[in-house]
Amino acid sequence: MPSPLSKLAFRQFKKAETRIHELRYLFWECTARCNLHCLHCGSDCSIDHTQPDMPLQDFLSALDTIRKPAGDLIVAITGGEPLLRQDLEICGREIRKRGIRWGIVTNGHLYNREKHNTLLNAGMGALTISLDGLQESHDWLRNTPGSFVRVDRAIGLAASSARLNFDVVTCVNNRNIRELPDIYDYLVSKEVKAWRLFTIVPIGRAVNHPELFLSDLEFKSMLDFITDRRNKGCLDIQFSCEGYVGEYESKVRNTPFFCRAGINVGSVLINGSISACPNIDRSFVQGNIYKDNFYDVWQSAFIPFRDRSWTRTGTCASCKDYKDCQGNGFHNWHGDKSQVLVCHNAKLEHA
Amino acid sequence: MTMQNWIRGMIKGMSFTTALFIFQCCYGMPQDMQDDLLLEGSVTSKTTGLPIEGIKVNVKETGQSQTTNSEGKFSLYAPWMESMTLQFQDVDGNENGFYADSDTVLTDLIPDSEPLTVDITLEEK
Repeated sequence: MPSPLSKLAFRQFKKAETRIHELRYLFWECTARCNLHCLHCGSDCSIDHTQPDMPLQDFLSALDTIRKPAGDLIVAITGGEPLLRQDLEICGREIRKRGIRWGIVTNGHLYNREKHNTLLNAGMGALTISLDGLQESHDWLRNTPGSFVRVDRAIGLAASSARLNFDVVTCVNNRNIRELPDIYDYLVSKEVKAWRLFTIVPIGRAVNHPELFLSDLEFKSMLDFITDRRNKGCLDIQFSCEGYVGEYESKVRNTPFFCRAGINVGSVLINGSISACPNIDRSFVQGNIYKDNFYDVWQSAFIPFRDRSWTRTGTCASCKDYKDCQGNGFHNWHGDKSQVLVCHNAKLEHA
Repeated sequence: MTMQNWIRGMIKGMSFTTALFIFQCCYGMPQDMQDDLLLEGSVTSKTTGLPIEGIKVNVKETGQSQTTNSEGKFSLYAPWMESMTLQFQDVDGNENGFYADSDTVLTDLIPDSEPLTVDITLEEK
């Protein structure tokens, strides 16, 4: 349990980070196309896309507005499924030419040996692959028979590279929660070094699938599982930074909860919108690269992200943990924003 | 130094370690702090001086490879190491002539420096 002093210091740290708001992590939603049709997709993207891929030059024009990029700025190329872009390596090389690192978030379906090689050659340094269970449960959630076989190949390739900063993410749901020990053993056998666990937020396509959501007790058991496996030390297993988890904070993550959306994390979305994480309600869009200077928007807008006092509403209004949580992950605010969509800490208290 | 930078620096230096400054966004991938370097160059014929297409350039230590283009050029990022071996192999048979394989050992490499140019000539078999 963190001491009151360290909690206080961390709050000061967050204030300083917010005031400086250095852009260190930039999502580029480069395509709306996807080759899978996952039951839980938050962006509800599909292969019948209407939005064309964003031309590389359009994104680079936005990137070039950043006057002095942070030394550790990284571009997270996402989608849709970024591997559907035929020019992904060219995109990566152009980003590296500007002294900026890049990586991708992928379902792994198209990640074969040749793609692994060409992406590394193009300077890719970070990779996240989604695995949502062993064969049956992964194929079910990914809504595509045979997708586990493909992702298994991708994980093997990625784990074999000493160059890549690679992790696996798993959306924990009612179907795969009892498989977690087996998934853990599988990942250790594949020599994966890092594993992040998520829960599924009731947005996008997931709204229609109540079996995707964990009960309060299941959520607590997931955190207990993470706590237990972290003590074993074979794999860097963490709960994602999706929400504040009270007394579990120091047990399930390497650092305390701090939603950096709009503070260090920005995005260029498929239609040119400027926002923070792509899963954040699009009513929070701060501008558009096709009419605004990206960096000017980053520097001077983003007020709701940097002053979150407006989240002190609904159950957050009287919460004793508000100073440490500050309204939970930003993606938990939708609709009229009168109530946080998911309170992870409340789930634990109710368990 | 502003007060915010000072607080930031203090915290970075003492109570929480630099781990606080390495973060990943919940729906993104990890950050990339690893050193690497860009290897660029061309492969030409010792006899004619002309570029050779179709030569496989292989980083022995990692298995990464690329084939030279019609201008005999290659360009690839490799993880930084103090020294590495680049292998040049004629893998396309007679298509662009027959050339003897060659290895080049690169030493005293500096991470994240300017692109390292490696121009190679190969002897015809």
